[in-house]
Amino acid sequence: MTLEETLAALLPIGKKLGFGELHLRRTEDALFTAHHREDANEPNLHSLDSARELREWAKYDDEGAFRPLKTAPNLRKGWITRTPEAQEFLSRLDAIYPGLFATWVAYTQERLRIVPLRETLKRQSGMYRISAKISTERVEQIRKEFCARNCLRTILWPSEEGSAHDPFVPEKIDEIPLLCSEACTLAINHARVLALEESLTKTH
Amino acid sequence: MNSVSKPESALLILGHGSTENPDSSAPCWDHAETISAMGCFGSVHCAFWKEEPSFRQIWPMIEEREVYIVPNFISEGYFTKQVLPRELELSGPTTIREDMRLHYCAPVGSHPSMTKLLANHALEIMGETVRPEDTALIIVGHGTSLSKNSAKAVKSQVQALRQGSVPFAEVLDAYMEEAPYISDWAKQTSAANVVVVPFFVADGLHSYQDIPVLLGIEPEPTAAASHREVFRHNPHMINGRTLWYGSSIGTDPSLAEVILDQVADFDLKYGL
Repeated sequence: MTLEETLAALLPIGKKLGFGELHLRRTEDALFTAHHREDANEPNLHSLDSARELREWAKYDDEGAFRPLKTAPNLRKGWITRTPEAQEFLSRLDAIYPGLFATWVAYTQERLRIVPLRETLKRQSGMYRISAKISTERVEQIRKEFCARNCLRTILWPSEEGSAHDPFVPEKIDEIPLLCSEACTLAINHARVLALEESLTKTH
Repeated sequence: MNSVSKPESALLILGHGSTENPDSSAPCWDHAETISAMGCFGSVHCAFWKEEPSFRQIWPMIEEREVYIVPNFISEGYFTKQVLPRELELSGPTTIREDMRLHYCAPVGSHPSMTKLLANHALEIMGETVRPEDTALIIVGHGTSLSKNSAKAVKSQVQALRQGSVPFAEVLDAYMEEAPYISDWAKQTSAANVVVVPFFVADGLHSYQDIPVLLGIEPEPTAAASHREVFRHNPHMINGRTLWYGSSIGTDPSLAEVILDQVADFDLKYGL
């Protein structure tokens, strides 16, 4: 089954699903719709009718600050998107949460590669090379403090190589989870900052 | 016009992206949308080093078994030779992974058709009433004393433009951080008119703020309501010379054609 067919199968007419801060549903007239979860009872929503418009919308938070991390818990409210086409709907969801529907499908099919944080850090070069020197203790700090505070994804990756990844246990039914299979550029950058701090502490 | 037709393949455009500049990834998305509308690929995707989807996240999104990968980068260097192959786990021009064939094309900035695009971009900035024969064209790159490769792509385009079909009075290269410096544009050119084209894949702080200050068209870096406003005040009259300043070459809509040219060239080079 293609991604488009999988999405259509998950959303038969009348069905509702959660997806991060989104509320997805298929209406009685077979339209795929998405809006912010907190806009469920909002009658006057602004219609965004293309992936381009949604990508632009997801680019900034309420204060107009750039959102480089699309799963930061600050997606703006006040909009709705509707389309009869599953393929188009998938493109629009990808504009809000790039690749995360496909990531979930790959996980359910046991095709998702999960990479330990230490392996990701060891691969870095240039200004990020130092991030690999971070201690095990600080590695845990990235997951528990930086990621948990700034991102809605459920982390699947273990911190150290050789450890089994955390099994994903869905907390809610009717929910497509936002899964994290490998640390992102922001987490790598944070590891770099912590590693630099550690090296300075050792020097002094 | 390019004749690429690969409905069974996917196209993956790679960009740097940014965690700070919201306009960094925009040209990649624009070119992807243009190519997608042409219908010449089964699907068209973008992936980024500093934004999402990342190079590491992209594979579950692609359903075709053959993928052409085109870096939307200006030159061959650290990123195209080291970072991108490593992050995408590419082992050569074509990588076979499970049942996928991944073709790694050359970066857009190195394609010969960039020369024509630079000339046309300059002509568009100047407008129809200005003669290229009376105009100096400056291609401005970042430049760095740390690497010769940074200026190499600019120099080779300047060479090609000098021999090209548009008869500019002069064609010069200039840089932000190495000689010849863009701040010396008036001394380096003699034509009455000067047109400046940034050789970058996207607009950002360099093209919005740094270069305008170095050219003398802005007194100091400003955070204008719309950064693009800086391109709307042409021409500038400075010390008896007329100066036009344009957006980065990577924002030109015709760059989509260069992406397709790199795909066509890959097939030619490797006999596909």
